[in-house]
Amino acid sequence: MILDLHTHSVQSDDGRAKVDNYCQWIRKKELPLDGMVLTEHRQWDATSDYRDLEDQYGLVILKASEVETDYGHVLVFGVNEDLVNSFDFARIDNPLPDVLAAAERCGAFAAPCHPGRRNVGLFAHYENKGVVDAVHTVEVLNGGSIPGEDELSVEKAAEYGYRGFGGSDSHIVSRIGFCATEFDDTFSDIDGLVAALYGGRFRAVNLREPV
Amino acid sequence: MSDTEGTEPASTEVQEAKAKYVGFVFDTATFTVEQDKMLAWAESVGETDPRFTDPSHPDFQAHPTFTASLVSRRVLPEDFPKIGGPRGIDGGKAVVIQQPIRPGDQLKASATIADIYEKTGRSGTMTFIVQRMSFVNQNDEPVSMVDWKMIRNP
Amino acid sequence: MRFEEVELGDELPAEHPDISMERVVEFTKAAHMNFPRFTDHEFARKEGLPGALVPGIMSQALLATMIHRWAPGCQILSLDTVFRGHVVVGTTPTISGAVTDVDDDERVVEVDLTLTAEDGRTGVMGTAKVAFPS
Repeated sequence: MILDLHTHSVQSDDGRAKVDNYCQWIRKKELPLDGMVLTEHRQWDATSDYRDLEDQYGLVILKASEVETDYGHVLVFGVNEDLVNSFDFARIDNPLPDVLAAAERCGAFAAPCHPGRRNVGLFAHYENKGVVDAVHTVEVLNGGSIPGEDELSVEKAAEYGYRGFGGSDSHIVSRIGFCATEFDDTFSDIDGLVAALYGGRFRAVNLREPV
Repeated sequence: MSDTEGTEPASTEVQEAKAKYVGFVFDTATFTVEQDKMLAWAESVGETDPRFTDPSHPDFQAHPTFTASLVSRRVLPEDFPKIGGPRGIDGGKAVVIQQPIRPGDQLKASATIADIYEKTGRSGTMTFIVQRMSFVNQNDEPVSMVDWKMIRNP
Repeated sequence: MRFEEVELGDELPAEHPDISMERVVEFTKAAHMNFPRFTDHEFARKEGLPGALVPGIMSQALLATMIHRWAPGCQILSLDTVFRGHVVVGTTPTISGAVTDVDDDERVVEVDLTLTAEDGRTGVMGTAKVAFPS
């Protein structure tokens, strides 16, 4: 199945997309997506409930978070009460090793996103501060990347032996599905996603039509 | 637990600035809407709709985002702290159009700080200061609201 | 364009707006923004910029113009723009857009708009709410 693992809705400060409209867009444009994961900035959205939309549109709609660390931004899948109490999701300088350790301890999956991006990408920080041993997976395709960033992500991920996934990083409706992740497994809830990510049988896919 | 955990600003100086400044009017200004400026604006952006290019049109009005160019004497409160760093970046403007603006309108604007928050991006650590200008016309009717995202970074 | 014809997913016809120095100078005068980084390539380059820049609010106004051409007679209710990257005066950008929401009760449509610079980078992204006449 194919999921867009990195999307933002109006819940994010810079998001302008309503989830209902994401669903309509996916169906109207016949995008090859089975669903999406909402990765809202610097927060865990505990109350939004997308189950009705899942039923209405036949899509998997899961919730996660994009947090900020001293090595750049990190996507966290499988957020739970224990994890929310482990570190401050609103901070912009959480120590990356602490975030990764907390995620693993709490049964969640955390991975740096847009690692090839200037200033907020993992690999820019590696140059200055050295490698973080606990990293094993990164987002190698990001729909918001500018030329050169994804290429760097792919190259460095290979160099360090990291697994790679993809996401659109969409903040507006029309950008969903630019990049996504293809899983060998099928699942319908967040536990299934976390298990599939730890299982490692997935790959980043670029769904944009060639210019 | 709160509905969206972790949405409070992280740094103390941002929290303090937010508590002190958000929601309070720190400046007011008046503007007279001049027909020649309305026309020059519309022409310069290639507008062809006669509502914005023809003064004889019954619905002649200012181009929708015209108020984005109207700024008060003060951009920030007089004693606003130097948070976020010395570099300033224009992050964008959001314009709400409540009523058409006509030539000769006397607009009164009040300036407030709508929000302050931090995030990181390609430009590094950024402090966002959202300045809001709310415009009413000579009849005290709301005509426009402009949110301006000013970004500060080191 | 009538409201009844609009569907979510519709693409607005792409445009290549005129951002020549002549147009930018005219805009900066109308907007009281006559600063050399918008109207003088040499000055801008000395500031470390790639050339004189199109003001962000001019790009925003270009998005509004495109909406008016797509749907004559409509009224823009809001236009929210993020200034993502530089747009250099005298280059050839592209504005594209798509309908992302249709409210049948209010006769209001939402559109995503992007002004892409000549080199393919995003200059300005916007979302607009547009009301159609009855």
